[in-house]
Amino acid sequence: MLKTYQALRRNGVIGINERNITYVNALNPRKLLVRVDNKLLTKQLAQAADIPTPELYGVIANARDMKHLPEMINHPDGFVVKPAHGSQGKGIIVVDGPLKGGWRLSSGRRIKLEDMKFQINNMISGMYSLGGQTDMAMIEYRVKFDDVFGKVSFKGVPDMRVIVLKGVPVFAMLRLPTAESDGKANLHKGGVGAGIDLATGLTMRAMQHDQLIDVHPDTAHPLENIQAPYWDDILLMAARSYDVTGLGYIGVDIVLDREKGPLLLELNARPGISIQIANRRGLRFVLEKAGALASDKLTAEERVAFAKTLSEKAADAGEPVIAPV
Amino acid sequence: MNSIRHAILLGIGLIIAGLAVFLFKVGTLGYPVSAKATTTVWDFEIFLEFEGQDQPARLEVYLPAGDVERTFPQEQYYNGPFGLNLMTEPATRNRKAVWTYRYPSNRKVLRYTAQTVGETQSTRLPDAFARGGADLIPYEADPIKRQAFIVWTGDLRRRSADDRSFVDLALKEAFEPRDAGEQYADEIAVLLEGRSGVMGRLELARQTLQSAGVPARIANGVYLTEARRRVEVKHWLEYYLDGQGSRFFPEGEPSRFFTIWYGDRELVTASGVEELDVQIALQAERNAAVDIVRRGAGDASRIDRIFGFHSLPLTTQLVYKVLVTIPVGITLLVFLRQFIGFKTLGTFMPVLIGIAFRETALVNGVLLFSALIILGLALRFYLERLQLLLVPRLGVVVIFIILVMAGVTIALTGANQAIGLSISLFPIVILTMTIERMSIVWEESSAGEAIKQGLGSLAVASMAYLAMTNNQVEYLMYQFPELLLVLMGLCVLMGRYTGLRLSELWRFRELAK
Repeated sequence: MLKTYQALRRNGVIGINERNITYVNALNPRKLLVRVDNKLLTKQLAQAADIPTPELYGVIANARDMKHLPEMINHPDGFVVKPAHGSQGKGIIVVDGPLKGGWRLSSGRRIKLEDMKFQINNMISGMYSLGGQTDMAMIEYRVKFDDVFGKVSFKGVPDMRVIVLKGVPVFAMLRLPTAESDGKANLHKGGVGAGIDLATGLTMRAMQHDQLIDVHPDTAHPLENIQAPYWDDILLMAARSYDVTGLGYIGVDIVLDREKGPLLLELNARPGISIQIANRRGLRFVLEKAGALASDKLTAEERVAFAKTLSEKAADAGEPVIAPV
Repeated sequence: MNSIRHAILLGIGLIIAGLAVFLFKVGTLGYPVSAKATTTVWDFEIFLEFEGQDQPARLEVYLPAGDVERTFPQEQYYNGPFGLNLMTEPATRNRKAVWTYRYPSNRKVLRYTAQTVGETQSTRLPDAFARGGADLIPYEADPIKRQAFIVWTGDLRRRSADDRSFVDLALKEAFEPRDAGEQYADEIAVLLEGRSGVMGRLELARQTLQSAGVPARIANGVYLTEARRRVEVKHWLEYYLDGQGSRFFPEGEPSRFFTIWYGDRELVTASGVEELDVQIALQAERNAAVDIVRRGAGDASRIDRIFGFHSLPLTTQLVYKVLVTIPVGITLLVFLRQFIGFKTLGTFMPVLIGIAFRETALVNGVLLFSALIILGLALRFYLERLQLLLVPRLGVVVIFIILVMAGVTIALTGANQAIGLSISLFPIVILTMTIERMSIVWEESSAGEAIKQGLGSLAVASMAYLAMTNNQVEYLMYQFPELLLVLMGLCVLMGRYTGLRLSELWRFRELAK
């Protein structure tokens, strides 16, 4: 047990305790958290800084707004309903399009307008928000995901998670939905995470349920060496998210739309640490390096250029790196 | 980083402060650290009953001397209409209660009660006694007795080698049992004439020892051997020989005793009353040792009044008795979460569940809790189909839980099974909240996650319950509230633990290769 502990420390693996104390608490001022906890605000801030996000169709904050629901969701291509204060993908309804007087969910189930109103009411009454405070339901564009990840996704929308320290992207991974995760890309629900090399945007080997895997569990397609398109744009969006929020340690979730390219989905002030398994190395040394060099004087482009030097492949010979198996 | 040093200093400071007070109370004030440490306390009572004669009455009663060597906490006097005067005889240091009344009539009762720990077994005789000078000339008033005394002591002196053998011989001969008809030599017979009981022999021995320059006195008291209502007053001799105090018990040495008064007078001297009945009662009572410390007159009781809970009303004390154990559960929970990585529903929910277990006991609690949660969850999923909103649905769940609990209680009472299933408000609230949280996790993550967190909560709750209801923990936290500072310090230190959790060793096992 002690050996495992020492090995993990040596490989720079950080735990939840360290993430919370050294990064989240130290770098994310409490008063700024509203910028990521409220997804509507995140969207507005991002739009102001030219970071593309899914188009907002409408917001439902009370029973009066609910009357306009049919107009807001009148999109044949489908739409997404999500709580503005939700976390970990909780409460999100993804609708593919109309189906026999109701709507078809991404999971294939049919939902009637009544059921949708009920779920939205739950959302508004604070079922998914922290502390149960009253919430808003955001109705927005449903991302038509790029086929580039089609062979390694099972339904749902794959997204990319980039960890950004003081504006410098440090770790990235591709999150892929599986049958088990019910179309959601969240790792704790059984989604697949594949580390992405910062310099090239190529996926490395992947993980599911904290264990390394080679192929997608549903499609059996190899997960390695998939090129993430628009990689430089994605890194730039991630780097700019820092300028928008002022939060020093965030997880930036970006989806790839077939027509609109990369879109910022949401920001997370407490990004999970499983990304270390997907990248097969600990976060600590990269974080320390980025933290030492990061400066507010650098532009987003300069920070991206610096980030690429943090890539595993570009890493110094002396840095402890877990060799690819 | 500065905040780390600050936190560590604060944590260690709190721990040191708490431990310092704790050690001071244990080391200097003598608080026992174990709940099991008990001492026998003897309730001592002198009970006087008599018939008033409508004439001035006066009753003098010797009381146990309030020596430093014995503790007599909680002395009480029941005077009735009598006036009470406490006196001390300077020569003997005897303490005396003098009860007086001008015209008592009918039956009257006077009472004195006290408690003693009765640790007189090893008490040293006071040094002042050793310096007690020579007495008056023995038997000065009675020439025959005086003559006999001179002959006998002269004979003793011839037959002894030193003071010790003189004392031994004198005591032996003075208390030698004699048959009534036996002819004995017979200075002793002369000397004991008219007063041949134990008291007379003790007086003879005392005079003999005194005349030889050995300070001696008659002590009167009770043996702490059995608890009963009518205890006989015992008499013995205390003498001081070769710089050492000794006692001679004519009826054999008891394991424990305590002295009430010195001298050859009676316990009670009464005038103006009839049918006087004197009773001495003893009652043994096992007490927590800490109560003795607290009730004593020393620093402990003063500090206790300032820092302890004992000055509070009894009902409030009972609340605090429970309250001070909660931090133990909380510290345990912090440890299990930060170092082990237990997953629980809510943050402090498991501790609250643990408190709820107090009212049901562990096994009953876990069973009842699991059953109610399963029922509540089932109801909740049923209500989900009716599309009730969040708050009304919660309301229905609460009412349902109350109904089920009422049903269970009535059923168990009807079946005449008094298993001590006490239901109170608190567990209902906890249960409802647990069900609601669990159902959200169920819906949003998975059934497996909900069950995992539910079982995690139940495990932590059980551990917290066992920790919080442990007798020793309860005792320590209640008697030494300063330990709260220690727990607080521990939590501060744990709050800066940035290492990996036990569960993370498993989670990241792939990266340890």
